[in-house]
Amino acid sequence: MKINPAVVEKVLTAFIREEMGKSGFKKGILGLSGGVDSVVCANLAVRALGPKNVIALMLPYGRGFGADLRDARDVARSLKIKSKTIDIAPMVDAYFTRYPTDSMLFKGNRMARERMAVLYDWSAREKALILGTSNKSELLIGYGTIHGDLACAFNPLGDLYKTQVRELAAHLGVPERIRDKAPSACLWAGQTDEGEIGLSYAQLDEILERLVDGRETKDEVIARGYPRKRVERVVRLIRNSEFKRQMPPIAKISPRTVGHDFLYPYDWNK
Amino acid sequence: MKIALAQIAPVLGDIARNLDLHLETIEKARKAKVDWLIFPELSLTGYRLRDLAAEAARDPRTSREFKALRAAGRTMSLVVGFVEESPREPGLFYNSAAFLHKGAIGHIHRKVFLPNSGMFEELRFFARGRSFRAFETPWGRAGLLICRDFLHLNAHYLLFAAGTGLTIAVSAAPGRGVEGREGFASSRLWEVTGEAAARLTTSFIVYCNRAGFEDGAAFAGGSFIFDPFGNLVARAAYVEPDFLTAEIDPADIRRARRAMTFKRDDRPEVTLANLERIVHRDED
Repeated sequence: MKINPAVVEKVLTAFIREEMGKSGFKKGILGLSGGVDSVVCANLAVRALGPKNVIALMLPYGRGFGADLRDARDVARSLKIKSKTIDIAPMVDAYFTRYPTDSMLFKGNRMARERMAVLYDWSAREKALILGTSNKSELLIGYGTIHGDLACAFNPLGDLYKTQVRELAAHLGVPERIRDKAPSACLWAGQTDEGEIGLSYAQLDEILERLVDGRETKDEVIARGYPRKRVERVVRLIRNSEFKRQMPPIAKISPRTVGHDFLYPYDWNK
Repeated sequence: MKIALAQIAPVLGDIARNLDLHLETIEKARKAKVDWLIFPELSLTGYRLRDLAAEAARDPRTSREFKALRAAGRTMSLVVGFVEESPREPGLFYNSAAFLHKGAIGHIHRKVFLPNSGMFEELRFFARGRSFRAFETPWGRAGLLICRDFLHLNAHYLLFAAGTGLTIAVSAAPGRGVEGREGFASSRLWEVTGEAAARLTTSFIVYCNRAGFEDGAAFAGGSFIFDPFGNLVARAAYVEPDFLTAEIDPADIRRARRAMTFKRDDRPEVTLANLERIVHRDED
């Protein structure tokens, strides 16, 4: 689980710089919630591209989460990056006024996708590529909205567990207040990742690392003393979320099919 | 002899459900008085396993699923496709097919030619088998091939040289091309090869493919049986699952070999000497 944060910083800033250059972009844009993932991503982007080439969008829903918005603004100010706050409540409310629901999940997903739509619009307006901020823990258990917060042009954080993002955050000088606050998708009041997932990131990441990086079987992890229910839940979450990590299947009928045997590198012609 | 081809659509990575599907099919075959029931390639596990191959791997000598299959198949012979991992070679996963006879393991073939181009990536996940061996059955000498093995001429020849009169090929061949013939265009490759192999080796060629979709790839179905004269005995539905049964007469092998004397006239020592030269002495 331990990382050498200096090495990680070096690799990820190089990655961000190269992805931009290959795509012919100078600027990066990202949604800045004030949580540790987006703050770390903004920090890396500034180190890679310089403050003039990084744009942060704060996308609160109404007046909730004032503390997070303040954190985000403080970070943008201290990093000297251009930022803009866009309240997504009018757009989201317009939809739910016509099609009401009590489901927090439906509302939350719609908010995540509204943020995505706003980000992609500003990405085009500003000629800036979208940096993703989903970490490895979230990607593996599918704690994210497909075509919502999972959408991006490239993702520097996708191979770092939450625990490791925090370690990197400390190295980058992210304030303790931001590193230590309870992670939240900020979709409704009182929502926390750990409350929703049902275990702490420390517990989750330990199990994930054994299963994924260590290639241990479920039973081997349980035999190490981790509670059976907890391990089984993690395995189930991973299995049930593969669709969020891949492109949707295409029915193959022709001699050559996108995704099946029409296979070119992502970096094709870049 | 009554032979049956179970052109099933296994559930990818779900061995418990696939075992049930096998047991139901075996029961159906038992009622139909089938002597030999063939399942397709990786029938117990599904095909596009990728990293699931490690979880799906079984040792047929000790696995619970094989115990159930052997018990259920006491009254008939079976061919079952699975991922094999033996305790002697931990971490090596073979794409294998087992011949089960009267509750015992009669033979295991490990796929030799693993396709690894275009949509195929078997070499990323499987180890390669190294041999084609004949084995005895109540209906004469037989040999097993798995999918791409079937498209390599030398695989057919080696079984022929080893004295088989029955080639059982299990397959998970996807379909491609929809230009007009019934089923996928790619099915023709298997049928032409099957007929040619039947004629040139004067053997029964039994080909059991699968149906269903995995990650968008459609399996072509169209399982078939050719007799040693090259006549099509039966063919299963294209694309859809099917259960094909046919009566075949093993004495046809003798009849065909009296009419067409390829087996009698074969000279494996000439093949061997020439292969030795080609492999070891010629530069290219």
